[in-house]
Amino acid sequence: MKAGYRKERIDRGIKARADDIFAISSYREILYLTGPRILAVLALLIYPLLTDVTGAYWQTVAFIACIIALLTLSWNFLFSVGLVSLGQAYFFGVGAYFTGFFDRTIGLPPLYSIPLATVAGAILCTIIIYPVLRLRGIYFALITFALPLFLMRIIEATGYLGGTEGISGLQRLPGITFSLYVTVVIVLAVTFIFLRLFDTDYGLVLRAIHDNDMSVLAGGLNVQLYKAQAVFIAAMPATFAGALMTLHYRIVGMPAFAVEYSILPLTAAVVGGTGTFAGGVLGAFILVPFSELLRAFGTLRIVMYGIMLLFFVVGLPEGIYRFAQRKYFQFERIVPLEEKADEK
Amino acid sequence: MLDVKNLMIFYENALAVNNLNLDVKKGEIVGVFGSNSAGKTTLMNTVAGLTLHMKFREHRKGGQRITIVGQQNFEGEDISNRSPNDRVKKGIVLCRERHPVFRDLSVEENLQLGGFLIKEQVKVQESIDLVYNIFPPLTKLKSRRAGLCSGGEQEMIAIGMALVARPKLLLLDEPLLGLSPVMQAIVVQALKDIRSLEVTVLLTEQYARPIMPHIDRGFIIENGTLIMSGTKEELMDNPEVMSAYFGM
Repeated sequence: MKAGYRKERIDRGIKARADDIFAISSYREILYLTGPRILAVLALLIYPLLTDVTGAYWQTVAFIACIIALLTLSWNFLFSVGLVSLGQAYFFGVGAYFTGFFDRTIGLPPLYSIPLATVAGAILCTIIIYPVLRLRGIYFALITFALPLFLMRIIEATGYLGGTEGISGLQRLPGITFSLYVTVVIVLAVTFIFLRLFDTDYGLVLRAIHDNDMSVLAGGLNVQLYKAQAVFIAAMPATFAGALMTLHYRIVGMPAFAVEYSILPLTAAVVGGTGTFAGGVLGAFILVPFSELLRAFGTLRIVMYGIMLLFFVVGLPEGIYRFAQRKYFQFERIVPLEEKADEK
Repeated sequence: MLDVKNLMIFYENALAVNNLNLDVKKGEIVGVFGSNSAGKTTLMNTVAGLTLHMKFREHRKGGQRITIVGQQNFEGEDISNRSPNDRVKKGIVLCRERHPVFRDLSVEENLQLGGFLIKEQVKVQESIDLVYNIFPPLTKLKSRRAGLCSGGEQEMIAIGMALVARPKLLLLDEPLLGLSPVMQAIVVQALKDIRSLEVTVLLTEQYARPIMPHIDRGFIIENGTLIMSGTKEELMDNPEVMSAYFGM
């Protein structure tokens, strides 16, 4: 760069204007603000209709991506409250087993068993996790990592809920397109609700707990209670994912607690950008198809996977979403040093 | 010894230090005074190389863009692009504000860490004894965990650590911040001892009064801009300076 000049990063004019009320005065600015969102939503809504083009295989991949996206949303929610979880499989598995239980023993139809398992699972998860909510950082992470393994072994040892065999032959769902549509709608709804929730006063408290829980405590709020509520809210997308996946494959077994369901959401969150809900969803939709493509490499898949992770953690720690957001809203230009000095 | 010319630092688009010229001669104690947001800490971090390090880190994670322009010369050599560890080896040691200490280590271990770069153990031990001489209250606390010490004691430890590293130029960032008048007196007293060790000192402070009698020259900055500089006497003769930084 020339001497006497520096690079400056500022908001695009259209962004500065669109932040204001003038956004409604021009189609271009409305499009600039809502365009990316509408595109993403449309893509998600149209994709399930393209079964003939993509084939059933890629429809299933999209379904799995949605499931992981739900788990990532759940992870990001916990992260935004200062709880780093290593065990999304815990919520997933509990939701899955509840569905299996309701379906097998009571014979509830899917329309009732899925919502019921979602809520009941979230309540059970919150109750189990409540005593350890005081733990922070790595200790909380360790407990959440251990919980799914713990539940898995209990089911194995006691033989309850089907033991090692699992519960199979559950009621049938209408098919992949139906399942995919349900998850897509839920992913969009949860993303929207979470984003909105964090803009309310209630969300402000949750964000404050992430920032400095001692100050929140000093402010006279019951941090423990808020954290429990946060776990309940965050558990629901994950238990729902477990419930739907169970009915889609008509079987639930110990793999519902597999480490995969803990690691993939975590990775997706890192790739997308930790703490951003839309970023997490984006991460899941990049990661899951990518890992399917890598199947051609056989066992080298894990290596490729690791290299990609390394690249993101070292090279782009802010995540794809924040990076793209910055490029979209801001631009860089070279300005003279002194001009700024004169303004002062 | 230290010569800073036309230093400008931007955090993103905010100007933190504006066209600052500052020099420190060997053996001097120089004070930089200014209110909050004047750019004192930025100046100290820049001379110690921390701002440069931060710039790389922020750039990598896509955070705020930091621009550093201008010359920083130390003993006639341009150090603008030297890393913080290089600068410590050259003899520029910073004692950061709010007395950062290693909380889980004992006082003695903290001081030993300060001398990690020095090869001869004898020299390190000498320096540590020297620190105990300068700050007698620390002698009783040798084996206490640093995290359990009071703010004043932690400040002594922090300054002590910097001294054990055998600096040529010691940078003290707000050494009196949050200390009681008694503790302030001990720290200010230590300045005299540090001067007798032939260590050059550049320090910052918001409130100049306790420090003023011990400095040779002073610089006053506001919003990153140098507004006045001069010897101790010149500054004390100025009524505006007296009211703003002395509360008189």
